[in-house]
Amino acid sequence: MTWLTPLVAAVAAAIAVPSLIILYFLKLRRREVEVSTTLLWRKAVQDLQANAPFQRLRRNILLLLQLLVLAAALVAVGQPEMEGKVPRGLQHVILIDRSASMSSADAEGGVSRLDAAKREAVRLVDSLRGESLIGSDRADEAMVIAFDQTAEVRQQFTGDKAALKAAINAIEPTAAPSSLDEAVRLARAHLPDQTLVEETGAVTVEGLKTRGVAIHLFSDGRLRDAQRVLTGVEDKVRFTRLGTPDAANLAVTAFRAERTYDNPTELTVFIGIQSTDRAERRAELELIIDGVVERIRSVTIPPATTDAPTLEDGTPPPPDLWRPGTTSIVFRLERPDGGLFAVRLLPGDGPDVLDIDNRAWLVVPPARQLSVAVVTEGSLFLVSALQGLPLAKLVQYTPDEYLAASRRGETGAYDVVVLDAWLPPPGDRPTMPPGRYLVLGAVPPLPLGAADLGPGEPGILIDWRRDHPALRGLVLDNVVVSTTRNVEIGPESAITVIAETDRGPAILDLASADLRAVIVAFNPADSYWPFYVSFPVFIAQALNYLGQDPSHLGLDARSVRPGSILTDRLPQGAAEVAIRLPDRTEIPLTPAADGRIVYGPVRQAGVHEVTWRGERTPADIALGARALRPFAASLLDPEESDAGASSSLSLAGVDVAALDPSRSNVNRRLWPWLLLAALGVMMLEWFVYNRKVQV
Amino acid sequence: MLRTENPKRPASLDELLDSRLISRVSRLDVTSRKMFTGKLKGERRSKKRGESVEFADHRPYVVGDDLRHIDWNIFGRLDRLFLKLFLEEEDLCLHVVVDCSASHDCGQPNKFFFMQQTAMALGYVGLINYNRVAMSAIGTPAAPGMSPSESPDVPHTGIVSAVRDLRGRRRTHELAAWLCSLRPEGGSNFPEAAKRIALSRRGKGVMVVMSDFFFKEGYETGLRLLMGRGYDVFCLQVLSPQELEPDIAGDLRLRDVEDADAAEITVSAPLLKRYKANLAAYCDQLRTFCARRDITLLTVRSDTPIDVLLLDYMRRRGVLR
Repeated sequence: MTWLTPLVAAVAAAIAVPSLIILYFLKLRRREVEVSTTLLWRKAVQDLQANAPFQRLRRNILLLLQLLVLAAALVAVGQPEMEGKVPRGLQHVILIDRSASMSSADAEGGVSRLDAAKREAVRLVDSLRGESLIGSDRADEAMVIAFDQTAEVRQQFTGDKAALKAAINAIEPTAAPSSLDEAVRLARAHLPDQTLVEETGAVTVEGLKTRGVAIHLFSDGRLRDAQRVLTGVEDKVRFTRLGTPDAANLAVTAFRAERTYDNPTELTVFIGIQSTDRAERRAELELIIDGVVERIRSVTIPPATTDAPTLEDGTPPPPDLWRPGTTSIVFRLERPDGGLFAVRLLPGDGPDVLDIDNRAWLVVPPARQLSVAVVTEGSLFLVSALQGLPLAKLVQYTPDEYLAASRRGETGAYDVVVLDAWLPPPGDRPTMPPGRYLVLGAVPPLPLGAADLGPGEPGILIDWRRDHPALRGLVLDNVVVSTTRNVEIGPESAITVIAETDRGPAILDLASADLRAVIVAFNPADSYWPFYVSFPVFIAQALNYLGQDPSHLGLDARSVRPGSILTDRLPQGAAEVAIRLPDRTEIPLTPAADGRIVYGPVRQAGVHEVTWRGERTPADIALGARALRPFAASLLDPEESDAGASSSLSLAGVDVAALDPSRSNVNRRLWPWLLLAALGVMMLEWFVYNRKVQV
Repeated sequence: MLRTENPKRPASLDELLDSRLISRVSRLDVTSRKMFTGKLKGERRSKKRGESVEFADHRPYVVGDDLRHIDWNIFGRLDRLFLKLFLEEEDLCLHVVVDCSASHDCGQPNKFFFMQQTAMALGYVGLINYNRVAMSAIGTPAAPGMSPSESPDVPHTGIVSAVRDLRGRRRTHELAAWLCSLRPEGGSNFPEAAKRIALSRRGKGVMVVMSDFFFKEGYETGLRLLMGRGYDVFCLQVLSPQELEPDIAGDLRLRDVEDADAAEITVSAPLLKRYKANLAAYCDQLRTFCARRDITLLTVRSDTPIDVLLLDYMRRRGVLR
């Protein structure tokens, strides 16, 4: 038992108790009544009263009861408390895990782990010491941090319980994986430093010191980075474990789609599934494309296994030592178009505590095949190299035909134009018209930064950038060029040299705002290169490289992990940008000057749709006047889906045992009970008084 | 116990005795366990051998006897002289003493009105049976603005007023008028009053003393004085129901209506218990005192019906028959 304000109570007692007794000696103002005779009354009173002053206090039950009431009230003023396990004088940091696994509905009472965590946290807040009513003791302070992969301060250190409870109750579950480290760092960053004067015997040590905090962690213990978490030496970590250790959960842990290079219309979809159930499970798997169920397959998932032996008394090994059973499914589809792919796992009859990992989404772009125009007087090597590529369209022009088509505006439909030893006239621009070009045997004029100084000496390719997409994996050291070209690159040019002969630059990469080109300065026909296999490979890689959107997405570019930031670039001039979350709420976004948008961290799993008014790329969906670009957010986290709650938590080598929420200790206030007792005794006093009067 | 608010003050005989009660008490008569010498030949049998028509006994003639009472028939048969003795009949004196002190103006029903009614009924019974009826109201009237205890030097006889020698039905209204004129005021001086009554008495008879007997000066001397003169004394102690079962509560200052004496009490269960014990002890003491002196005591509540009191309680105790 501790007393918050013992001195106040003592002073109040010293004043109140004698006052009460003195009141009993005071004469009452009595009501006057005329009676026939006072003979018998006087005698009765004399019989009853003794002469000594303290005799009248003897056996006076009313006084006794009033003293009891007073005592209860005085003890209440002292604010006694029973000692709980929460150390005194600490600041409390309430860390609430809101990651995907906390949505598991296996907490006590059938609620989700997060709801149970919030309930326990509110209980903790209720038990915090409030500001002492009379004394100068400070109230306990607490801070609320919600964390998944990122941490967020929901409430700064405060003693205001209503604010704390509101902050706790406002925490919503997310679909993100969990990471404790950032949360603890955030908590320690917000901790105010305090100057303490410590007295150690005769010596007074003065110094800046951080007071320890009580860190209350409400989680299921599935914290992958717990080992990295470093708490303060004086910090006391209390880990309240929510959920059951052997919770069975089925989850989709991988969802990928790939197209083969040689047949881009064939789509292969990989789906990974895991089960933490200790029995074999059968489940149904649905593949949904654009809202229509395309395939259904029945899956058998092997049981979770463990290497640890079963103990002698038959208890299974602790849940941390079990490995979930996994299986994978492959679907092959003939699908040149893109689409919004979703997969849904129907867990059948068995238990499945976590729902949000049973679904995953993927935005699959259409198979990319380029339209290429080649402007040539008739280069056999080039045309046959292009004809061997899986192109959507290949059109051969002579320079005159190309100019005519260009005037008709037909050339804009080609992804890449291959210019063979010919350059289009610049027109009203000082250089080439906008577009993407693979230029062979010509150098575009200044002011792009390169100057063609005419034919040069024979040379050999001696150096090239092996990491450039157009030159990746090529071996060019046996390419001999009979006539190189002398090229001079300006100092601040948009051109980078990606291959050189011993005479100077040979292959250039030009990237400006509206013009991209890979320029082979020498004419391949003047070299041995067309005889080597590296030539058609170069043509193919260069076309692919040029054909890419600047914002080109790979097959997983439109996927985002919950907890991370969604960034993308919209076409310039996009207006009225908004993102629609899976729960159908719309949030307006403001794009940056270059069309970049940022949203996040992503909290929900599902399809996030970014819409805007303005230009759209071919991969975007037209929605009336607006364009729509979907993003898929799926959990796909085997660790997060391993839903069994940990029985202990190891923080940087320090093990923290889990507390069962039903047996956690909190400070209990005694003074309300004492006041209640005072009220009760007062009622008893009233009852006794009335009995005394009415007989 | 508390002073009655707006007590009933009877103005005529009808308010004291209703006709139903009159018809019921008309058959009663006052009786005495003792036979007293009356002044006038009355309707009452006397211990004396007298001149009534009712034969009592014979006795041998002695010189000096009235020759008119010799039984000549016996002389003719036996040749000896015998006197015929007859029962004497004489009247009986009924003296009703009413305590007129302020303490009787209390209770619900009012004690004094009850005593007035009882006195009237007794007086009526006495009158219609040709007894000599006398009534005395005792008490010390309060000086205006002054309680009796504050003027102890003012001598007083203790008797407020009295009527004497009433006889016959005709005097009923006179008696009623006297009773109606009484007012319960002031204190009491029972020993002095008893002395006066005893000294001024004419003839022996039945005396009914009606009071609550809460005399601070004591009732013993007074009763002894009344008893000493040979009266057949009958005490009627009238208590209000509230005196028996107090219905007061709280912190009170009790003021005696007679002498303004004050007592501060806090009503509580032990106090009430003590009060009742004291009352019982007081009444018991009075009863013992009376029993020792051959005084009949009857304690009644002021809410007792008058006919029950007369026809039942008083008959049973031999005051009426």
